[in-house]
Amino acid sequence: MDSLGATPATPNGSPLGFHSYDPGIAAGSLVLWGTPFPEGSGKVDIDGGTAELLVHNVCLFDAFTVPNSFDPTHALGIFSAIINSMKIEWSGVTRSVLGFKDATNKFRGDFFECSAKIAVSATTPKDTGHGFHFESDPATTHTNFAQFGTEHNGMFF
Amino acid sequence: MDEQDSISWKKLHQKSVSRRNLIRGAAGTAAGAGLLLGSGLRLSALADDDDEENRKKCKAVPRPIPHISTPPGAHFFFPGPVDANPATSPNTGHDPSIITDFSGVIANADLVFSGMGTNLNTGASAKYDFHADMRLMDGIFVGLDSERHRASIGFI
Repeated sequence: MDSLGATPATPNGSPLGFHSYDPGIAAGSLVLWGTPFPEGSGKVDIDGGTAELLVHNVCLFDAFTVPNSFDPTHALGIFSAIINSMKIEWSGVTRSVLGFKDATNKFRGDFFECSAKIAVSATTPKDTGHGFHFESDPATTHTNFAQFGTEHNGMFF
Repeated sequence: MDEQDSISWKKLHQKSVSRRNLIRGAAGTAAGAGLLLGSGLRLSALADDDDEENRKKCKAVPRPIPHISTPPGAHFFFPGPVDANPATSPNTGHDPSIITDFSGVIANADLVFSGMGTNLNTGASAKYDFHADMRLMDGIFVGLDSERHRASIGFI
């Protein structure tokens, strides 16, 4: 989740600077920006055409920018932060891709493209010197791409 | 990560919080939790003896999908349709999961949204825009230990 420095709303970038939240790469893992969620955080209702993710207190990092997150030296610095709460709702299926199989990338499943809405609040603690709090307005959500579905990959392909 | 691991992790988290009184009152909650996160790998060292058995077990670690998108040189596809043309869209679409040897349900969303940002050091507030690629993988995976684990894994 990274800040947009220059948009029509803030053509010169936000006066609050850049913030970029991600879980980093876990020690002993090659999985990028992955983090375990509590069981039951996510619900995918294939028949109902909806999905929902609700999590609280997700610990992660504020790396300020995506390039700085990938930079092993983190030249801009990196600080512990938290997503206080996050709710994403998927609905309004616009396209179904059923029984899809990709032998090259070894995955298969049923996928449903749709739109999504997010409500999220995040905090970089004040004592980092880069204290920041964000509260989203779910009504402003613009979906570039969203989908939910069933998937089986790798040895389950 | 199986359910037992989740419970153990929660117990460790709670114990370390209560012992060190890192979080005092609502105002300090976010900061305290954030500080705990950075030291997540050290939490096991704070466990009581009754967690001895759990400490002997390493956390289940999933494998990433084989594909590497360059840049940035990481194991994932950018969000897009699963049936994207690999010739014209080699790094966008395709497998939405970031972990392999996985079977379950997924959901992902590439979103742009606005809200109110506040600089906690100066008190200044302003409209703030974010772009996010959020994903959920909920099901079973076979980890680096070659065992099956039940997990709900997010990509933020």
